[in-house]
Amino acid sequence: MLTKIMGAAFVVSGLGGWGLYGARRLRERARHLQELSMAFGYLEKEITCIYNPLPLALANTARFAPEPVAQLFSVSSALLQGRSGITARDAWLTGVEKLSLLSPLEKDDLLLIQSAADQLGASDAAGQRKFLSLIQEHLNIAEQTARNKAQAEQQLYAYGGFIAGLVVVLLLI
Amino acid sequence: MRNSPASKGLKEVLAYLPPGLEKILQYLDEPECRELEEIRLRIERPLLLRINDRECTLDNKGRVHNELDRGYLVSEDDLRRTIACIMDNSLYAYEEDINRGFITIPGGHRVGLAGQVLAQGGEVRRVKDFSSLCIRLAREVLGCAKPLFSLICPRPKEILNTLIISPPRCGKTTILRDVARFLSSGGSSWPGCNVALIDERSELAGCYQGIPQLNVGPRTDVLDGCPKHLGMGMALRALSPRVIITDELGSREDVEAVRECVNAGVQVISTVHASSLEELHKRPMLNELLNLKVFSLAVFLSRRQGPGSLESFVRMNDYVD
Repeated sequence: MLTKIMGAAFVVSGLGGWGLYGARRLRERARHLQELSMAFGYLEKEITCIYNPLPLALANTARFAPEPVAQLFSVSSALLQGRSGITARDAWLTGVEKLSLLSPLEKDDLLLIQSAADQLGASDAAGQRKFLSLIQEHLNIAEQTARNKAQAEQQLYAYGGFIAGLVVVLLLI
Repeated sequence: MRNSPASKGLKEVLAYLPPGLEKILQYLDEPECRELEEIRLRIERPLLLRINDRECTLDNKGRVHNELDRGYLVSEDDLRRTIACIMDNSLYAYEEDINRGFITIPGGHRVGLAGQVLAQGGEVRRVKDFSSLCIRLAREVLGCAKPLFSLICPRPKEILNTLIISPPRCGKTTILRDVARFLSSGGSSWPGCNVALIDERSELAGCYQGIPQLNVGPRTDVLDGCPKHLGMGMALRALSPRVIITDELGSREDVEAVRECVNAGVQVISTVHASSLEELHKRPMLNELLNLKVFSLAVFLSRRQGPGSLESFVRMNDYVD
């Protein structure tokens, strides 16, 4: 009997934990999109107001942004500062790859951030302002969608996990 | 090649080239490195080098060829990566330099840019879609102006207003830089004085982020990237120089500014493009400058015995047009 109770508790807590993890990822995705948008805003100021060179602008943005979003900027900045013939595009794409390992951002979110690779540092200040503002706008829209999705689905995930656990236990009994 | 002092300039430039090109250029022999003046990269065209007076190319194993069709073809990616590295991947931070047509990199080397130019109202608004670049290696030849020192400073504490005249690529800028260094540093016959260097095209002092990369002397103030006529006025008002040195006079404003300086008791040493005084007289602005009789000495340079050969000089007080 004790084994059955322990098994049931294990299944419920396991599936419940999985549900909570899913709910947390939904919330985190929205938060990361918001932090990315703010970081792009900071980068825009670094580029269009202070005219800092891109490696320095990215490093300063990395200090401003919270983890793991900061990784995107710090990885690409470090690569550019290495001066090994690497372009901003290559460095940025490496940064996005690193971020994708640390954040619950979805494929579309990552594609949006990747799209900055060809533009970053490749035009005058006015051009940089336009493109960074556009990325921010897209990120804000993505963030709003992610928040709505989180609101609608996080309870489903949170309770759904436990309920699924209970259903499995009942079926097994 | 890599560790010789002669290759210092090339080494500084190699840091900005993509690995493929860097490797090819590393094969250059030391004498060639020492005399290397220009590296030209043009998309889908052979890599070109100007070594002294000779133009040649390198194949992808770094072998030197005079026939251009045997040279390494520069790809779009090579050019893109080089430009990205030179501009620190930050075109926006180099807008003004790009519009001027060149960027100076550490070491004082000048990178000229070519591409699609967008002009508006008679001014360059933007240069984009770069198609080629020309890297001119800054060469500092300490003491190359030695034969001129006794002409420019004939007596202790006396400096003559001097015009250095030569066709292009005869070493005017290198000579002028050495004159600035000498006047500023001083020597056995000269105590040294404050020099203002108006370096409109960042060629004389090779400033990078405002700091001279080439030796222009301890008492030299550099106005980098400053239009000559404005710089002369600024130096006169703020820097109390004994002598103002600037390159390539030509416009009406320049002539006015020189006159202003000379009348304020400041000596001017400058250069112009020409082969003879007769040629100068044919150019209206420079003719006006000569007629003002502000210059006491005209020095002619040529490439007869290499760049910077002193061809002749004329004491303008004795010169009758």
